[in-house]
Amino acid sequence: MPTEPMPTEFLIDRLSAGLKPVRRRSAGADGAIIGVLCLVELALVLGMGAMRPDMTAAMRHPSFWWKLAGLALIAAASGTVALRSFDPARSPHRGLRGVVAIVAACLAVGWALDAGDGWAALVVRLDWRQGVRCLVKMVLLSIPAALGLGVLMRRGAPTSMRATAWAVGIAAAAWGAFVFVFACPSDDPLYIAVWYMAACLLVAGSVRVALPRLVRW
Amino acid sequence: MADADWGGLMVAAQSGDAGAYRTLLGEVGLWLRRYYHHRLPPAQLEDAIQDTLLALHEKRHTYDPARPFPPWLAAIARYKWIDRLRAMKGSATEALTADIPVGDHGEAVSSSLSLDRLLGELKPAQAEVIRLVKLQGLSVIEASQRTGQTVSLVKVNIHRGLGRLSALVQRQADAD
Repeated sequence: MPTEPMPTEFLIDRLSAGLKPVRRRSAGADGAIIGVLCLVELALVLGMGAMRPDMTAAMRHPSFWWKLAGLALIAAASGTVALRSFDPARSPHRGLRGVVAIVAACLAVGWALDAGDGWAALVVRLDWRQGVRCLVKMVLLSIPAALGLGVLMRRGAPTSMRATAWAVGIAAAAWGAFVFVFACPSDDPLYIAVWYMAACLLVAGSVRVALPRLVRW
Repeated sequence: MADADWGGLMVAAQSGDAGAYRTLLGEVGLWLRRYYHHRLPPAQLEDAIQDTLLALHEKRHTYDPARPFPPWLAAIARYKWIDRLRAMKGSATEALTADIPVGDHGEAVSSSLSLDRLLGELKPAQAEVIRLVKLQGLSVIEASQRTGQTVSLVKVNIHRGLGRLSALVQRQADAD
């Protein structure tokens, strides 16, 4: 009389019987998808006439290039860390430490650019009404990248869920801020450091809280 | 672990080869049994194996043939292990009656070696109540009477202890 198969053997039979070919995940393809999504967003924002009217004059300020290059670097670095960590065997922790170092370096460069102006009239420079408006816009602009990376994360198999969510959040926030650079009326390093940092922390923190619950596998 | 063989079988499985996949899952199932044998209580062994096989099935498209198979499998197994440790924090535990027939203790003993090593990293009060409630099956009230801790403290110590266990395992995984 044949013995009854163990439940695990039942499961193996069921999984192999219903097997279908799968399209292999590739970090490069994921990067291309998110890259196209981000470029489409940037094109739409610029196409809608959101670019600041004094762009030519702004491009003469070092602080304009500082925020543009800094945010692009942070978005690219954290986006790469996030995409790589969708592979179960890759940890994002070392990459995240690199991202933190890049953020610190960017802030240090901003402080150097700002050092000559002094800290007078701090409240005036921070211009909190304008700052809050900028913050809201940056948060909204980060949503497409956060959604895109979230979908890709769900399709992947990250095993360090919280750290990967941080990487996704920082990447999305930095991209949202990068797009906003083209519309931002301020080139004051202090204003940028405070309000851009606040927006990025808000987005990254929200993503860090939400994503692990949404993409658990 | 036969890296090239398993990697080849997984590549074939990704193309839809059911025979190769069945062979692979059978061998991976045996490997998982050994892996979890020293990491989980015996009662959870079969569930953990099946849970991991299901995860492997759902995420099989994330295997990259250019990279070795064992780290990929081990990462998924470890993720599911940590997940299970976290789940233990919220799981209800029933008291064992004295007349349950007891079989072979060998598996339980070898599992406890690994668990004991992890529990040794906790505060004694936390390790003690986790042993009593989560491993020996006592109720929280019984553990409270046994240890002299209040019922609330037992619950807090279990919660914090399991949280610390998860963090320890996660930190070890990250270091690896």
